[in-house]
Amino acid sequence: MYKYDAYDHALVRERIEEFRDQVARRLDGRLTEDQFKPLRLMNGVYLQLHAYMLRVAIPYGTLNGPQLRTLAHIARRYDRGYGHFTTRTNIQFNWPALVDVPDILDHLAKVEMHAIQTSGNCIRNVTADPFAGAAADEIEDSRPWAEIIRQWSTFHPEFTFLPRKFKIAVNGARDDRAGIRVHDIGLQIVKNEAGETGFEVWVGGGQGRTPRLAQKIRDFLEPRDLLSYLTAILRVYNQHGRRDNLYKARIKILVEALGAEEFGRQTEEEWAEIREGELELPAAEIARIRAFFDRPAVSKAQPVPVSGKPGFAGWLRRNRRAHQVEGLSSVVISLKPVGGTPGDITDDQLDIVADLAERYGFDEARATPDQNLVLPHVRNEDLETVWDALVAAGLATANAGLATDIVSCPGLDYCSLANARSIPIAQAISSLVEAEGLAEPVGDVTIKIDGCINACGHHHVAHIGVLGVDKRGEEFYQITLGGAFGNDASIGGIVGKGLAGEDVPGAIVRVLKTYLEIRDENERFIDTLRRVGADAFKESIYVAA
Amino acid sequence: MKAITANRLTDGRVIYRTAEGQWSSRLDEAEHLDGDAAEARLAQAEAEFGIAVGPYLIDIEDERPGGQKWRREAIRLTGPTTGSTHEPA
Amino acid sequence: MLQLERNPQSRKRVEAQMEAGGGAVVEIPGETDWREAAEQARGAVQVDIRFASFKDGRGFSLAALLRERAGYAGKLRAVGDLIPDQAMHLKRVGFDDVAPDNDNLDADWARARARFSHAYQPAQDKRTPVFRHRQAAPAGDDLAALNARYRGLDAMEILEDAIRNEWTGKIAMLSSFGAEAAVGLHMIAQIAPDTPVVFLDTGRLFAQTEQYQRALSEQLGLTNIRVLAPDSAEAAAEDGDDRLWQRNPDACCALRKVRPLARAIGDYDALITGRKRFHGGERLALPVVERIDGRIRVNPLAAWDAERVNAYFKRFDLPRHPLSDMGYASIGCWPCTAPVEDDGDVRSGRWRGRDKTECGIHAPAERIAAE
Repeated sequence: MYKYDAYDHALVRERIEEFRDQVARRLDGRLTEDQFKPLRLMNGVYLQLHAYMLRVAIPYGTLNGPQLRTLAHIARRYDRGYGHFTTRTNIQFNWPALVDVPDILDHLAKVEMHAIQTSGNCIRNVTADPFAGAAADEIEDSRPWAEIIRQWSTFHPEFTFLPRKFKIAVNGARDDRAGIRVHDIGLQIVKNEAGETGFEVWVGGGQGRTPRLAQKIRDFLEPRDLLSYLTAILRVYNQHGRRDNLYKARIKILVEALGAEEFGRQTEEEWAEIREGELELPAAEIARIRAFFDRPAVSKAQPVPVSGKPGFAGWLRRNRRAHQVEGLSSVVISLKPVGGTPGDITDDQLDIVADLAERYGFDEARATPDQNLVLPHVRNEDLETVWDALVAAGLATANAGLATDIVSCPGLDYCSLANARSIPIAQAISSLVEAEGLAEPVGDVTIKIDGCINACGHHHVAHIGVLGVDKRGEEFYQITLGGAFGNDASIGGIVGKGLAGEDVPGAIVRVLKTYLEIRDENERFIDTLRRVGADAFKESIYVAA
Repeated sequence: MKAITANRLTDGRVIYRTAEGQWSSRLDEAEHLDGDAAEARLAQAEAEFGIAVGPYLIDIEDERPGGQKWRREAIRLTGPTTGSTHEPA
Repeated sequence: MLQLERNPQSRKRVEAQMEAGGGAVVEIPGETDWREAAEQARGAVQVDIRFASFKDGRGFSLAALLRERAGYAGKLRAVGDLIPDQAMHLKRVGFDDVAPDNDNLDADWARARARFSHAYQPAQDKRTPVFRHRQAAPAGDDLAALNARYRGLDAMEILEDAIRNEWTGKIAMLSSFGAEAAVGLHMIAQIAPDTPVVFLDTGRLFAQTEQYQRALSEQLGLTNIRVLAPDSAEAAAEDGDDRLWQRNPDACCALRKVRPLARAIGDYDALITGRKRFHGGERLALPVVERIDGRIRVNPLAAWDAERVNAYFKRFDLPRHPLSDMGYASIGCWPCTAPVEDDGDVRSGRWRGRDKTECGIHAPAERIAAE
């Protein structure tokens, strides 16, 4: 993975000193809260319901052993012994004191981590395919590009006070596991006829109050034009994005208002002026960054084990992913134990994942947009040993992609923006689905839960989405059906009026049972849903329990 | 009845304004306010420079959070409801 | 350097300019379309871009486009609701000055504008982005580019760029701790007091120089003085009788200054010197940036004259070298340094009575060998 040089270290260090100074000026009153807020947000510090929350960046979801251990140390020393992985592949700590944050950032800097621009109206963490560099269907590793974009977007003088947040995703496989159609800018790596790398450029995707799918504005962008083209898009957005209404300030609103064609035209017009200048990305720099992201080699490839302890085979079946290198596998470490808090991990568990990554994983782990972890490179002969260790740590739930692999925002239990709780709903659904033995029979289905319309839990793009709302002081939950995250991205539709919290798990179970009844052979949930329509399921949701 | 709540600047913890103009983490120590007095006291709290970030008014019924936002304020008072082993006792 | 607009002289200058040339000061809201703004900026001596809210970042794009697209080269000022933490961004998109509404935070602005030593991405300030630094420096052309960049910058700005940007971690100041040395040393102490300062202890220095070196270093808070000495074996062999300075001053300089420096110089890509054109002789056409034997020398004070040097000493109340008061205008080793005559050049007291005017540490190696 990428290794900082003196420049990277210096910038992170200087940023920490800047924030330390900003905290001091806030404490002595030279900065008002209104002035301080955007500054602390740009260092990942939120003020939540009962405490500050620190969102640490995990660029393109990639972590190594020392980094995992440092996260464990921070959880232990400055927090309450746990952290939470998010749908943008960052990690959040829920209880740090503001006055401790500069010291926390010092610890992070030692292992080349930071909390830069993980919030605020600036360019956020650049995400990628969590199986980048490993996936069998990979066209090209997306992470070097994500790293190049990360550097270009860090402390960008022109784009630090945008109308709103800005999220970029890069996907390098045939299967879109980065969600480029629901990002402000999505880049899909493609090859032209000559086998040269380029990018499809998609803009204007996003969730929240007004979910929109991105539109493609360019079929093939050459790598050397990457930064100038991104600059052009950002410059158009910075100038013309709305600033009068918080809920209409994302680029998706601008793209929709202008139309993709006009937005693309304005982008290309700006781009024409700047493309052959200082922003041209030199081949030498591309090569330099690429060199950090190599694939492990295996001298004596072993086959995937077929026998082993009970449970191991089931875990392999659900949580293993094919690897492009023979003899290796990727495995999903589920952070969704039945009845647990989705995405949460304890300090001890972080240490264990660190050990496994270092001993059996070529010192690499990934965070996914589903709030799980991945060991991207595990030798087949080590799979059972890894599984044993995960079992002992409570990290071996064999449910990757199943109905109990639920994504949930923190909700009203933590978040000051929330209208309703989401975690207890996730826990209850998970428990009931498990009790009814439905997870395995149903197979692949995505269930995502949000406690408010900001949709950090991505319910819009779930096969089954749950959105908590507040109705006169009571929590109600709307069900959406038919959303999807990847190549076939779609926005789910609300099926009807909201349900009381205690009715939600039963309703979800009935939806899954309906699927089992009406599905064709080999049809996944989403396929059946698209074939028969949501009405077929609506009945089962509202039938009296 | 109303009370004023905020978050503590240094560590973000939930605090309530007492009759003496101090800030306590206990709701039962909060000053109870009514109508115009509540608005006036809030304006006062907002104008003060000190440890409280973002003060606002909440509804109180019998020393407990009331009104439409009761659940949010109950969670602020007692912590997350998710009952995981990580949570404080 | 982003200046805080505090100087009433500056406003007078602008007004005088307006009266003389008929140009205007134009205030433009940050949300103005850049083409409209470019029209309004035409013929202006100063453009003020007003930020209605510090969170409204349109002013940054407007500044960038006025500079880059409209080619506006006049003074560009940011006014309105701004916070010190925006200093670097304002500078980088092309603002010269800032006149924020909140006017009591000068120290915070000063700190903020020097906060980051590098930048990842190119911007309108033409600072070299990190990815270009990382590439091998192309031979030749960069001197012209560097001199162009430094043209019009003052000495502090040059040093700040040299120390914190262009040669960060690979640059040292070469100082004799002589008559004028305090100026450059004071400047680098403001920027980075841990910048290495190379001091050639020839073994033939005035006692006052040695005392001054210690006292001045301490007063300025310089933490990284690197003292270089001649090789003792060589000294024994070549100057066993302590009379080499008499027999062959070039050889003595080579033993005590040139070779010790040459041994240490590999640690640095660039050296800062205090040389000035007004010293005369070979320094008359001194450029700010030159290359000697493949290594960069930065002479930020090249254009300074004696008056300016004296004014700087006064302004910051810097201690003089003890020998300055005794008529020594340039101070080297005691055998070869004399006070200057009343109408003599600054360096006329050095190697008096000989043709020699430079010790050789600023000359290319082959030239020395040939002599």
